[in-house]
This record gives sequence, structure tokens and C-alpha cells, in this order.
Amino acid sequence: MTTWSQRLDNPVSERLRDPATTGYVAIGLGAFAAFLAIPPVEARSPAWPIAVGILAVALGIWTATRGRQRLGWGAAVGGLLGIGLGILATRSGTGNLETVFDATLIDQTFGLATPLIFGAIAGMFSERSGVINIGLEGMMLMGAFWGVYGSDKGGTWVLGLLIGMASGGVLALIYAYFAIHLRADQIVGGTAVNFLALGITGYFFQQFYNGQVSGNPSTIPNLHISGLGHFLENSIGNLSLLTWASFLLVIVAYVVLFKTPIGLRIRACGEHPRAADTVGINVYLVRYCCVALSGLLVAAGGVYLSLGPQGNGTFIFNMTSGKGFIALAAMIFGNWRPAGAFAAAVLFGFSSALALKLQIYSPQASTLFQVLPYVLTLVAVAGVIGRTVAPAADGKPYAKQ
Amino acid sequence: MTEPKKDLVQSPEEAASSGTLAARLSLSQRAGGVAVPLATVILAFLIGGLVVLATGHNPLLAYRDIFNGAGLNWIFHPTTNTAIDGGVPAQAAFNLTQTLLQTSTLILTGLAVAFAFRCGMFNIGGQGQYFIGLVVANWIGISLAGLNSFPHILLAIAAATLAGAVWAGIAGVLKATTGAHEVISTIMLNWIAYYLASWLFGVGGPLHNTDPTQATSPVSNPILESAKLPVIWGSTTLQGLSAGFLIAIAALVVYWALINRTTLGYEVRAVGFNPDAAAYGGINVKKNIIRAMAISGAFAGLAGGIDMLGYLFKYGQLDVQVSQVGFIGIAVALLGRNTALGVFLGAFIFGGLLYGTTQGLTSNVIQPELSQQLTYIIQGLVVLFIGADILILYVWNSRKRLRPRGAARTPAKAVY
Amino acid sequence: MSDELVLEMRGIRKEFPGVVANDDVSLDVRRGEVHALLGENGAGKSTLMNILYGLYRPDAGEILLNGKRVVFSSASDAIEAGIGMVHQHFMLIPVMTVAENVVLGTEPVKDGVLLDEGAAERRVADMAKTFKFAVEPGALVEDIGVGQQQRVEIMKALYRNADILILDEPTAVLTPQEASDLFEVLRTLRREGISIVFISHKLKEVLEIADRITVLRRGKTIETVPREGATEESLARAMVGREVLLRVEKKPAEVGDVLLEVEDLWASDDRGIQKVRGVSFQVRAGEIVGIAGVDGNGQTELIEALTGLRRADSGVIRVGGHELQHPTTRDSLDAGLGHIPEDRQRHGLVLEFSIAENVALHDYATTPDSKLGWLFPKRLVERAKGLIKEFDVRGGGPLTPAGALSGGNQQKLVAAREISRDPTALIAAQPTRGLDVGAIEYLHRRLVAERDEGRAILLVSLELDEIFSLSDRILVIYEGEIVGEHTGEVSEEQIGFEMLGVQKKVPA
Repeated sequence: MTTWSQRLDNPVSERLRDPATTGYVAIGLGAFAAFLAIPPVEARSPAWPIAVGILAVALGIWTATRGRQRLGWGAAVGGLLGIGLGILATRSGTGNLETVFDATLIDQTFGLATPLIFGAIAGMFSERSGVINIGLEGMMLMGAFWGVYGSDKGGTWVLGLLIGMASGGVLALIYAYFAIHLRADQIVGGTAVNFLALGITGYFFQQFYNGQVSGNPSTIPNLHISGLGHFLENSIGNLSLLTWASFLLVIVAYVVLFKTPIGLRIRACGEHPRAADTVGINVYLVRYCCVALSGLLVAAGGVYLSLGPQGNGTFIFNMTSGKGFIALAAMIFGNWRPAGAFAAAVLFGFSSALALKLQIYSPQASTLFQVLPYVLTLVAVAGVIGRTVAPAADGKPYAKQ
Repeated sequence: MTEPKKDLVQSPEEAASSGTLAARLSLSQRAGGVAVPLATVILAFLIGGLVVLATGHNPLLAYRDIFNGAGLNWIFHPTTNTAIDGGVPAQAAFNLTQTLLQTSTLILTGLAVAFAFRCGMFNIGGQGQYFIGLVVANWIGISLAGLNSFPHILLAIAAATLAGAVWAGIAGVLKATTGAHEVISTIMLNWIAYYLASWLFGVGGPLHNTDPTQATSPVSNPILESAKLPVIWGSTTLQGLSAGFLIAIAALVVYWALINRTTLGYEVRAVGFNPDAAAYGGINVKKNIIRAMAISGAFAGLAGGIDMLGYLFKYGQLDVQVSQVGFIGIAVALLGRNTALGVFLGAFIFGGLLYGTTQGLTSNVIQPELSQQLTYIIQGLVVLFIGADILILYVWNSRKRLRPRGAARTPAKAVY
Repeated sequence: MSDELVLEMRGIRKEFPGVVANDDVSLDVRRGEVHALLGENGAGKSTLMNILYGLYRPDAGEILLNGKRVVFSSASDAIEAGIGMVHQHFMLIPVMTVAENVVLGTEPVKDGVLLDEGAAERRVADMAKTFKFAVEPGALVEDIGVGQQQRVEIMKALYRNADILILDEPTAVLTPQEASDLFEVLRTLRREGISIVFISHKLKEVLEIADRITVLRRGKTIETVPREGATEESLARAMVGREVLLRVEKKPAEVGDVLLEVEDLWASDDRGIQKVRGVSFQVRAGEIVGIAGVDGNGQTELIEALTGLRRADSGVIRVGGHELQHPTTRDSLDAGLGHIPEDRQRHGLVLEFSIAENVALHDYATTPDSKLGWLFPKRLVERAKGLIKEFDVRGGGPLTPAGALSGGNQQKLVAAREISRDPTALIAAQPTRGLDVGAIEYLHRRLVAERDEGRAILLVSLELDEIFSLSDRILVIYEGEIVGEHTGEVSEEQIGFEMLGVQKKVPA
């Protein structure tokens, strides 16, 4: 018969006793505390979020004292936030709450997350091969404008998508030349790319359309799924085709990066390019391809902005207004992994969707709420929730002799 | 991005030759002198001209109109008269005052980026720090009625500068304590400042104007007369060149002195070139990172201060959405090679571009909306070329001069 | 070993900007032999091998494999031709597994497009068993020891059916025992008919393992000799071109007061692992105390704790009798500790600063270099001029950037700065790493001169020769503890054993 100590001596048990586990549970409880007060649970008494939140704070402090300081204090803060939000929610009218937290919130979350997903996966491919891509914002903007242009002149959204993606790819190739061949500083190069994209799209927007897209370029259709029941139909029954494409992209990206030889080589180029070179891998070629790919993908996200349900075939100056940077943040938050980047993108999409819905309370509060993704990223970059580890050779130009 | 994990078996030579940002920028400065930035600008203008040509406008005429729009034709008929009825010379003089106004702002946002570069950091947050400076200057400018002009202005300027320093300091503290990359944190802080300013000046926001006729306009109150900077050239009724220009010039001198003649500058440069050696030298690296970011932000905040007190007087949500001066500061700093004189010249070039392509432009060759985009294209090209040292590598072919002999002897592959 | 020539390199020439790395170099290797390529740093050994491995293209000359002319345009060509290379700085990816590292570039594939991890691990396991390497295919490279990592590198080459193996300074990172193990492996490989080219600058090793030895000097082939008949002296002479002093002549030490004292010091590394475990020792005026040990046994953390770069967990540090409490780098400098760091380009100098600015690196904040925060560049230049003259630093004047100097002169600059501050005690960590023999001689002589003047010097080095040559007392550090202390005669074998933690007494 096994003794207690022997029974405890197994991998599962070790995981449970690891303070990190408690830390993550605490964070979850903090979120849960807020969740209690909103539909569908809609607890009306503030006692519920307070109770759960306090438990979260306690577990957070316990985690901090057991050695996982950042995780623990982050969880404690999360618990306090949960209490605060929960109390706020209980004080709000149920009518308003139900307007904000309904099934369409999920629909909008995925919708707003789509360009972020494209951007985060795009950035991930580039950085996994060792090239930082700050120019995601500019490439996304190129996709947004040239997508409209392509759809307008070509007559179909498919052409718009292709031309939009190509424009992002071209800009990415220019960037790749400077970053890889000329070994320019990649952050400076990325910043330059953003300026260029701003100028090019603005210039030709003015030149071709005089500041306003007229006519109705063909837009990307949504994928209607019926017969799912009320909740599911409102939440995922009417998402854009590109949104579903982005989900697929996440899975494909995972398989390619971690389950195929080419993925192994890409990661090798990002971790130790010299080692890759010495086994005969063409580091330059791999990096060029990955950067070009990232341009294509993020531009697709840009096309979604202008030809998708939010843009509806229009373009405005500087349409991306920072989404490329949020996508970059999502990639970092997700620790350069597809699943993580996806989760982060959805989280940021959720906060943007929430910000829009909160206009019901006050437009000013909504403006202020828009800062949430940026604050979250600051928190992530500060390493409050675990440590983010970039590919080792990320950002360092490779010199072959 | 948090600092990447160090390769456990990387040779020390490889680590040394990869070089810090400050090192690369200073290297290209030494190797290229003043001819390289000049050639970069010319090349950028050339390519911009090609774009203009390709879309059916005459680039030479377009550039001439931009030149006049910036008031640079003033050198042909100088005058101090800027009145509307003064004819072409007065118009040129007026345009020049406006260009110098823009130049003042860009000098300061350029210095912000340059100072951070000297410490090896990339402060992309100048735009956000500028906004914070504007907000604080506006707030003090509309309050404290009855105060004399001098203390009012002094207080507002000081507060704006300090606010910018604090805003950038956040990124500095994050980098020093958690290793968070300042590029990401300053970008995030930019957007936080953007929305903060939008909210403050927007309808219903705390700094929204109190004028009943402007209730639906998302603009702030104008600052009190006592807070306005004196005009040194031009009329007070028609936007003249404010004393902010002199403050900007003074800032250039302060920058030069700080970098080259103080122990603070020595430490900042050491940390920028080689933080490891600086640490061994007894320098507190973390303290200097925070200090450098704070001083960098102070310059940008000051920019907001002199703009608000010098000619803007009020600010609105729509202004927040179109402002780009913080970002242009990046191009200015890079073009100016992070030196005081360079920043001045770079700021003047871009200031001229900025005004000359927009409000100053009277042209039947190219519309302002179109030429305005030209500024961004040229800006992008300048930053791109400088980032790649492209002209040094190809036009001057000084690859050998570029690499310090230390690095040439320790290439990123084993030679021994 | 047969007489059949499996490799011939004839008339190889390779130039880099400013230097001719290989000048009409020739090399031939027989099947199943261990052929050593011997030369100083900068002699051109690695360049020649990089050409053979396809990483560089020669400006002139030809390569023949088994009598047939071959041209390599990349590493893959060389790999395909059966040439494998184990680099001095490992080309392994720390965050990937052993199996992934071995198969990278020639990965087994299943279902047409997916990576077959199972097949990879199986093949690696088989190879490990055949050659008796004790390595787990699924282990992460960053988790295994250096000796094992080297074996992974060898497996990479064998996986690609190499029959010529190039080893670049393989024992640089190994203990004497691990080096022995490696030689056993090489003998096994040789029996299997694999030819080995062994690059080294260590005379003793080469005499132990090589069948034939080719000496390179300044890019030229000097001679190729069989092992029989070659001696350390004859090889050294060929390497350097003149008589070389293998040991520094020094008079016996005249010791004085204790100037540097460490008592029960404990310190951890960045990951929280305790690397310094209860170290105690004293260094007196007029003596050189050398700490010998394999890299990674706590030397780095010990020095960092002494110089203030790392906060010790507990213990006492005394400089000149004055106790240091959790010092910062500033504190330890002010207390009188001088430090010649092991990585001069990373820790010793700011390469972009001028010589004058580098000289001021510790004292810029004090008068006369500055006052109340205001800097006086002219004073810096004055001081630099004096030091350049005294220490014979060549390559530029006070305003020349330090990066323009050669390695030897950079190290002299660092030494000049540290010594001129008249420190109470001087710590020299790997002071001659990467330097040519001339510079090494100068620095060794200088250190002994300082010691004769009564300075207390703590020497930490991975080169046993250097330790033996300079030290009056030798301490051996193993896993963070001082396991041996020797004054006077002691054999290298004894030190070697102690460096491995073996407490065996070997007759001197």
C-alpha cells in the first residue's frame, strides 16, 4: 500500500502544489468576481464579487510570498479590479447591463479581433525567424487602402483582397531588404515603413478619390450559420469570412511552426542563425520569406478593416490608427506562440468591443476605456504575468561572410 | 519586447560586434560627416519628386510652391513686415514666421528623441509626451487668473516640462526595473496619452471649454492672456513668431552642454554605448536609464508647453487626431545625427516641409491635401535611408571605415 | 591509419579587408588519422577550416577529396561531401532538444509534410548507444552539460555521414578529465576509419592525440611533422618563430599584509542557484594568488560579488582591512579594488569612447576630471597621454576611439587604467584571453612587476599554464568551494583532479 507521501509524489500533484498554479487560479478568480455581476449570472448584491475577489487577492498574496512575486501581486491586483468592476456592475441598471453584455458582444469581439489575429500571427512569423517587424501598422494600412482600390477597380472583393495583400507584401519586401541585406536597425526601419505607408496611402487616397471613396466597392461577405439557437446565432452566426479565415490561420500557423521541418528551420533562424547556417539552411532566404509572409498576412487584416463589416468599403486617412501596434502587443502578450497570440488578440478585441458598448453609459467613459488594450500591454511587457521570452536572435541582423 | 534570452553558448566576440543602437548611430555619424545627411535629404526629395511626377504633377513647380509656402523665398527679399497688405515680401516673411514656429516644436521633439538615442534608447513616445505637455500647459494657462505674466508663463512651462518628463519616466522606470523594451512601452503610452487628451478636451471632458456657443465643439478653453508667450516677430493678432523659438534655441545649447560637458552626459553616453562596461565603471545603469528617458520626455513636454503658450492657445480632439510632431521628431533626430546643430537643421527642413505643404501652400500645381502626404513620404524615406546607412555603404563605399577595428578582428565567426 | 590521402588542400589563399588570413596554405590528411592543425591565435587555422567546410570561398587554391577536385559554395555542399565540423563556440540551439538539433537541416518527414519527431529521437538514441555517448535525445540543450553538448555536435556530423571530422579547439571548454574522454572518442572514431582534423593551440594535447601535426604561422604553412620526434619546444618554436619563454622568470614572493580577504562568501547566479558556496581566502601584498577551475564553477559570480556587480547572499569581504557591506561597483572601486575584467570589449572598455574617456571611466566624477557635474575634457586628455606612454599603448592617441586598437593594446589600456589608480588589490580575470603571444608576455611580465612592487593580485584564469606561470599560491575552485590550496610544487595532474572534485593525492 502506498503511503501519503508516495501518493503525493507524482507530476500532477507537483503541479497543484506549485505556487504558480495558485497564482493563475487567483487571476481566474479575479476575472470571475467581475463576471458574477454581469449577465448571464447578474448577481445583484455586491457581496458576491467582493467575496470572490477577496479570495483572489488572498491567493495572490499567498503566491507572492511563496516566491512567485510578480504573478502573485498581479493576481492580487486582478482580484481588486474584479471587486471594483463587480461593484460597478451591480450598481448599474440591469437594462443597461443587458444591452452591453449580450450575445452581440461576442460577435463584435471576434470582429474587432480579426485584424489583430492576422497582425499577431504575421508578426510572429517574422519574429520567429529573427526579424522584428514594427512596420505591421504600415503594412496593415497599405492593405486597407489598396484593398479598397482593388475591389473598386477590379469589381470583386477577391481582387481587392489579393491586391491589398500584395501591397503589404511589397512593402514588407522593401523592409526586408533594408533589415536583412543592409542590416539596418530594425526598429528604425519599421518606423520608416509606417511613415511611408501613411504617406503613400494618404497621397493616393487623395489623388484617386479626393478624400472620399465613392461608389460601392464589393465588400467581404459574412458567413451565415443558421439553426444554432438564439445565443449562438447572435454571437458567431454572422461573422465575416475573413474572421473564420483568421481562426483557421491560427491552427495552420501552429502546425507549420511546430510540427513541420520548415517550422523547425524558421525557429532555428530566430534562435541561432549561425547554427542554422552551418547546417546548410539559407538564413537570408528564410527570413525574407517570413517577412514577406508577415506583410501578406497583416495586410489581409488591413483589407478586413476597409472591406469588412466595420469599414463597408470605405477608407479614411490613417484607418488603422494603432491596430498594428495592438497586434504587435498581442503577439508579445501571447509569448510568440499562435495560441497565446490568438488569446491575446481576442482579449484586446473584447476590450475594444466593450469600449464601444460602454458608450451607452457615457461617450467620455468610452473614450477613456479605449486605453485598456494599451494598458494591458504595458502590464504584459512589464512581465507581471510570467516572463515573455522572445526568440534569442530576434532583431539581430545576421552577417554571413 | 523584453530583453531576449542571451544565447548560452554565444561567443563574447559575437556579443560585442552586434553593437548597440547608439554605437551604430555614432559610427555612421563619424564616417559620414555632414555630406551624408545632405545627400539623404536630396535623395528623399528626388524620390518624392518622382512620385509627384508619376501622378501627373510637375515636381519642380510643386517644390517651388512648397519652397515659397515655407517662406524660404524670404531670403530673396527680406523684410520684417508681415502684414497682409505687404505684398509678396510680407507674405514670405509671414510664411517664414510660421515655419520657424513649426521648427521650434520640431527642435524640441527632435532633441527628445536624440537625447534618448544617446543613451541607447529609442523614444518613440515623443508624441504622447507632447500631448501631456499641451494638456498641462493648457490647464495652468486657463487657471490662476490674476497672476503676472512672467510667473504664469514660467509655471506653465515648468509644469509642462515636468509632466513630459514624468510621462517618459514611466517607460524609463519600466525598462530599468522589469527590462520592458522602451519602444513598446512608449508606443503604448502614446496611445494612452492620445485617448487621455481626447477625453479631456472632448465634449463633457474636464478641460472642455465653458463657452456656451462652443458647447458641442470638442475644444478646450483658450489660455488667459497672462499666460501667452510674447511675440518676437510678426503681429500678435495674426499668429506671429513667439518667444518659444528662443526657448527652443536655448534648449539646443542646454542639450549640447549636457551631453558633452557634464558628468551626466558622460554617464548617459557610456550607458548608451556599453551598459556592461558602464556598470563595471561604477555607473548606475538603471538610474541613468530613468534619467535619460525623463530628460528626453522633458524636451517633448516643453514642446507642448511652448506650442500651447506660443500660438495654439487652445486645443481640441480633432487636433489630437492629426498631430504628428512627435513622430517627425524621430526623422529630425536621425537626420541631425543626434547632434545639436544637426537637430536644428533637420527641424528647419521638416518645419519648412510641414508648413510649406499645408497652410502655406498656394499652388495650382498641387493641392495642400496631396502635398501634405508628400511630407510623410519624404519623412519615411529619410528615416529609412538613415537607418540603413545606405548612403554610407554604397555612395561612399566606406565599409572598412565603418567597422571599428576591434569588431573587424572579432567577426561573428571564429577566425582564430 | 593508411597512407591513402583522403583530403588535400593546395595553395589556399584567403584575404579579408586588411589581412591575409591564409597565404598559399597546404594541408593533407590521410584516412583514419588524427591530424592536428597547430598555431597561435590569428594564424589562420579556423579560416582554413571554414573554407574546407564551405563557409568561406578561397580566393585561390584547390581542394581535393579522395583525389577528386571539389568546390563548395555552401556548408551543405561540404556536408554532402562528407565533411563535418564541430565549432569552438557550439552551434546548438539551447531551447531545442538534442534530437531537434541533430536533425536540423535534414529532418525526417512523415505524411509528406510533417516532422517525424519519433524517428529523429530513435535515430539519435541509436547513435548514442553505438558510440557510447550518454545523451538523452529529448533533453533540452540548455539543460545538459558542456561535455555532452560537444557530443551532440559530434553526433550532428555523424548523422550526416561525415568521414572527415573537423574539431575547432574542442578542449577549450572541457576539464582535463572530459578532454581525456573526448580523446577516447576520437580514438574510437579513428578506428572506424574516420579522419579527424584537430585545431588547437595547446601543445600538450596535440602531442597526446595527433598522428601528424601541421603548424601554421601568420597565414602560412610552416611545417608538417609526425608526432614522433616532435617536442613542446620544437612545436612552440615553429608556432612563434623564435624561442618562447614558457614560464615567466620570477623571484620568490615577499609577502606583507593581507590586502584582500574573503570569509565564508555565498553568492547565487541570476537563476537563484548558489554558485559561490562558503569561499574563504586571503591575498597578501606582494603575492599573486591564482584561482584555477573549469568555467562555470563559481569564478564569475565570485568576481562579481567582489567587484560589486552582484549582491552576495552572505559573507564578509575586506579590502585593505576595511569591510565592504553589499557593495555597489562604485563602492568596491572606492574601496580600492582594481579589476581587469575577463571580457575587455564588453566590460572593460567603451569602444566608442576615446582612449581619454575610457581612462576616466572610474574617476570621471571626481576632481580634477570634473567638478560639481561639469566635465573638463582637457584634463582627461592629459592623463591619457601619460598612461599611453607608460604602458606603451599603440594604435592611436588620446582621442582615438578605443575600438580602433588591437586586442593586445586594448588590454594594455585596461591594465593601464586599473594599475594607475593604485588599487589596494587587483583582480585579473582571464587577462590574456584572445591575445597573441607577444601581448601575453607583456602582460604577464607587468603583473609580476606589480607583484614585486608589493601589490596584492588575485588571478582567475581558465588557462592552467597561466596559473602555474604566475601564481605564488594556487587555489582550486570546484562547484563554488575552494577544494585545494597549494604553495610551492604541485603537479598539473593534481590540480586537474581537484578541478573535477576528485580528492585524490597524486605524488608531485
